[in-house]
Amino acid sequence: MEEMFEFRLHGRGGQGIVVAASIFTEAVFHDGYYARAFSLFGAERRGAPVTAFIRVSRDRLMPRSRIYNPDYVVVFDPSLAVETSIAGLKKGGSLLVNAGESKDGDFFISSVDDSPYHIYTVDATEIAWKHKLAIGSFPMVNTVMLGAMASLSGLASLESLVTSIKKRVTASVEANIKAVGEGYDSVKEVERLVT
Amino acid sequence: MAFEIMSGSQAAAVAVQRTGIDLVVAYPITPQTAIVETLANFDARGELGGEFVSVESEYAALACCYGAAAAGARVFTATASHGLAYMHEVIHWCSGARVPVVMANVNRTIGAPWCLDPDQGDSLSQRDTGWMQIYCSGAQEVLDTVMQAYLLSEELLLPCMVVFDGFYISHTYEAVDVPDEDSARAFIGPPSFEAQVKPGSPANLHGLTTGDNQVKLIRNRHEAMLRAPDLFKTINSKFAETFGRSYGVIDSVIPPGAKTVILAAGATAETVRWSLPKLDNTGFIQLRMFRPFPREEICSVLETHGVEKVVVIDRNCSTGMGGIFAQELRSAVYDLNNPPAVQDIILAGGIDLTFEMLESIIKEDKYQGQVEQIWGVDLK
Repeated sequence: MEEMFEFRLHGRGGQGIVVAASIFTEAVFHDGYYARAFSLFGAERRGAPVTAFIRVSRDRLMPRSRIYNPDYVVVFDPSLAVETSIAGLKKGGSLLVNAGESKDGDFFISSVDDSPYHIYTVDATEIAWKHKLAIGSFPMVNTVMLGAMASLSGLASLESLVTSIKKRVTASVEANIKAVGEGYDSVKEVERLVT
Repeated sequence: MAFEIMSGSQAAAVAVQRTGIDLVVAYPITPQTAIVETLANFDARGELGGEFVSVESEYAALACCYGAAAAGARVFTATASHGLAYMHEVIHWCSGARVPVVMANVNRTIGAPWCLDPDQGDSLSQRDTGWMQIYCSGAQEVLDTVMQAYLLSEELLLPCMVVFDGFYISHTYEAVDVPDEDSARAFIGPPSFEAQVKPGSPANLHGLTTGDNQVKLIRNRHEAMLRAPDLFKTINSKFAETFGRSYGVIDSVIPPGAKTVILAAGATAETVRWSLPKLDNTGFIQLRMFRPFPREEICSVLETHGVEKVVVIDRNCSTGMGGIFAQELRSAVYDLNNPPAVQDIILAGGIDLTFEMLESIIKEDKYQGQVEQIWGVDLK
């Protein structure tokens, strides 16, 4: 049975996590894996918590259940509930948080400080603003987070992400391509006493 | 053919576009909306090839399909849950009138209260309406089955419902091998059935009749539907020649010596299939065709392998009786010399099925022996 890599993405309606999951799926497929992405949401509305799942494997056959024990948890918005986001994350797995120098980011990271997995941050909000990726006052962080997910997991190349973004993103394509590259290069591991 | 990343809903829409459709009638409902939305996009780009009509309700959507199919058109609509329930009267009418309508139903719980999770009670509540029903376990199967459904439906003059789970399939993006238009059109060909109504020769169809006449029509319809499994096999042989893959009315994987078999339809079938290597000596049957019920095919597999127990995954519950696939299976195996025990796993409300749940059903002592019904929520 082929090794399977499981991601759970937490974000808010309007942040583009569903689109991000499909782009990631396309990029890893291009790089030789099968992948599946799906999302859970209630009534669709901006700001409501949204969860998306991605499975990646060399084998086309994969289960169609939700992901309860992910290898990677990716948090697009650090103001989301910490407990719900990290639930079930595998020991030794990876937590990636969109956390710059913000109160929400600090709170999220300090809440998980003694956890048995690696913690990484990327300041996706800042990068998104820099490239004017926003809908009104709502920063669109999804392509930055995609870049970070790809470099952290090593499952998708930056080149494949860019190809998929060109195909699936219709607005601010150039800015999104810059954002995905910056996200790819900006992942930092949080230094702490690893338990 | 080329692989593309798309959702199950998009796969259904692409299949419809590839058939050379004459008419798509659309009314949106979650989790089906992406099907008609994708078809609307084809239409907006001038690539649909047929008419796209938005209507005021699901009832109108199916009524339009009925009328157009009666005039010889190849038609499609899609719905889910309350939308399917709202169509109920016309669902009967389509099969009674013997028009080959193909419709996708994306499973979603019927309220009250409102719920979006993929309980199969919507499509199963239409079990006795004279439609064929085929359940799919992933986006590739959805695409392929929608294409095949037209050949089945137009040959037998019976409507066909292609069914798949909301979210777990409809909203799952995955790699789908998409046939190019030319090979798809060559496989399906133009509509092969005669129009019941023709411009210039007005007729009054399906007027009042007596039970003595009606019974003949019902019997014809029943006998036509019983031809579906053999025809499905023929269609799939042809499909395999062109596209290199095929499906059975059921698919089974029975390791030598396996005495327990898990039967599932829809998205859960793939979770079971993936779990098999980790479930000691357990077999698997995917129920793809539900109407007509593939009694002969299932019984033959169970008898050949001397199966002693069938665990049935039911993402539905007929209140007062239990899971519907399990009931159908019990009835189908009743006449066998050594009918297997049937254990029903109820995932009503469209709840998730995980490997861990399957593992406890197969391995835990308390679920062995005569436990006829297990509620999925108790396994979590």
